[in-house]
Amino acid sequence: MRLSVAAAISHGRVYRRLGLSPQSRLDLLRNLVTALVRHERIETPWARADEMRGYAERLIDYAKRGDTDERAMRMADFWLTEKDLIHKLFKVLAPRFQPHPGSYTRLLQIPSRDGLDRAKMAVIELKGNPLPPLVRPRRDSDRTLLNQLLKGYRQDARRAAAP
Amino acid sequence: ALVVVCSPLPRLRALLQRCWERLERGLWPGVLGGQSPPWGPALAVQGPVLLPQGINDARESSAEAPSLLESILWMAAPKKRRTVEVNRCRRRHPSKLIEVKRNIDVCPECGNLKQKHVLCGYCYAKVKAETRLIRMEMHKKEGGPFNAPTVETVVLYDGEKPSEKDEGKRIIERARKRPSWFVQN
Repeated sequence: MRLSVAAAISHGRVYRRLGLSPQSRLDLLRNLVTALVRHERIETPWARADEMRGYAERLIDYAKRGDTDERAMRMADFWLTEKDLIHKLFKVLAPRFQPHPGSYTRLLQIPSRDGLDRAKMAVIELKGNPLPPLVRPRRDSDRTLLNQLLKGYRQDARRAAAP
Repeated sequence: ALVVVCSPLPRLRALLQRCWERLERGLWPGVLGGQSPPWGPALAVQGPVLLPQGINDARESSAEAPSLLESILWMAAPKKRRTVEVNRCRRRHPSKLIEVKRNIDVCPECGNLKQKHVLCGYCYAKVKAETRLIRMEMHKKEGGPFNAPTVETVVLYDGEKPSEKDEGKRIIERARKRPSWFVQN
């Protein structure tokens, strides 16, 4: 029976190791969350964006409780280093996401960074932001088999209903 | 050791028996007969004790060679030149070759190549340039740092009026025609 943890195994570890230390990792993520709330769309390495996503969504869940809630206010105070964004969080983002049950962010991958490191980059944005959309939803072309069959069915239904 | 030789000729049998006896005598000379083994000291003489210099010389001469061999650090070295066939087998092994990517597609908007799970670089650069200009307008409107608005924002282009949905939102004006890919909601 193994009583000690072997050094190089990390099965089941959820949190990535970023920055210089656990404190530095939290500071990094805090800066990213602040930037996301301020600019509503940021471009950053994919690992950091992925790590930050969970924290940002939980912050919005806390904000949905309302700004009279003591815990929500303490969370917002910790996570947003720029204090004018606390107002934005509770007055703009909480009402915007009130109808949504979850997943307030969108994470999309971008071509790798141009520099020497060729890092895997991602863009993370809050849904419903006023900026131009990154991906246009594409509808299937009219020439696909299913769409042609549906078109024929609709025509038949109209012909049957018309006279 | 009993050796049974079945031969029809008795002379051959006798010859073989004599050969076998001679062999046995040669192998175990002291076993058969009463003769003692041939080796042994024929003459035992009390020899003189070796001189101390002689002992030291012997020790030095015997100790020098092993110390020389032990002090060298033996390292691995190739015995033979690797032939070009062996080298080719190693260099062209599938695990060493660069994988061919099969997830490259054509972007339906601009026609540039893109990976299937990645955004198109050209389209993203287009959107990035436009967002940069919009953010410059926002910055001008806010005036200074840390003036994040407490209302939603709407971006309007040339000749557009805010609709009923855009009540109470901060309006950002852009002095150009609306691009086709920025659909107004």
